[in-house]
Amino acid sequence: MGRRRNAGSRRERPVKGKPCVFCKENIAYVDYKDYHMLRRFISDRGKIRARRVTGLCPQHQREAATAIKRAREMALLPYVAGQ
Amino acid sequence: MFIVIPEFDEEQVENTIARFRTVIERTAGEAGEVNNWGRRKLAYEINHRTDGFYTVMEFTAGERTLSELKRILRVSDDVLRHMIVKLPPTYAHKPLPETAEVSG
Repeated sequence: MGRRRNAGSRRERPVKGKPCVFCKENIAYVDYKDYHMLRRFISDRGKIRARRVTGLCPQHQREAATAIKRAREMALLPYVAGQ
Repeated sequence: MFIVIPEFDEEQVENTIARFRTVIERTAGEAGEVNNWGRRKLAYEINHRTDGFYTVMEFTAGERTLSELKRILRVSDDVLRHMIVKLPPTYAHKPLPETAEVSG
């Protein structure tokens, strides 16, 4: 459960966290082969997005990072993109 | 998962897969489902090649399977990359989105 980013009004305190997408869909294993899905967690430079951007819980952020690294090794995702 | 060199045609890729299948079976493993992704563009160049045949193979390992398979994968000139991953017991076989990207 990550904190929600300041969406819209600044004065409002971050209320309830948005649940992480993997927790919501009850996904136990983040598959490195599903690189289309992993695309959502990398920047257009190919860097892994921070948790405050992805909104993932600590466990799933870690698993997503491992999956991205595996996908990179198999040339499914780039190490560096857009040069 | 492994990537076979793009110079091959489908039949030679099948032969390569069959070779690994026999290695697994010879070492008391059990070769399961083979998922051929077909020819796909690589995200970056490997050995001056821009595409390759992706193959995902599932298997259970016997005692000597891993060491033997790794050794053979490493010395195979027709395999660009390979990766052996231990799947969690809860692994769900959901179909992955269409991945075959044919390129010239």
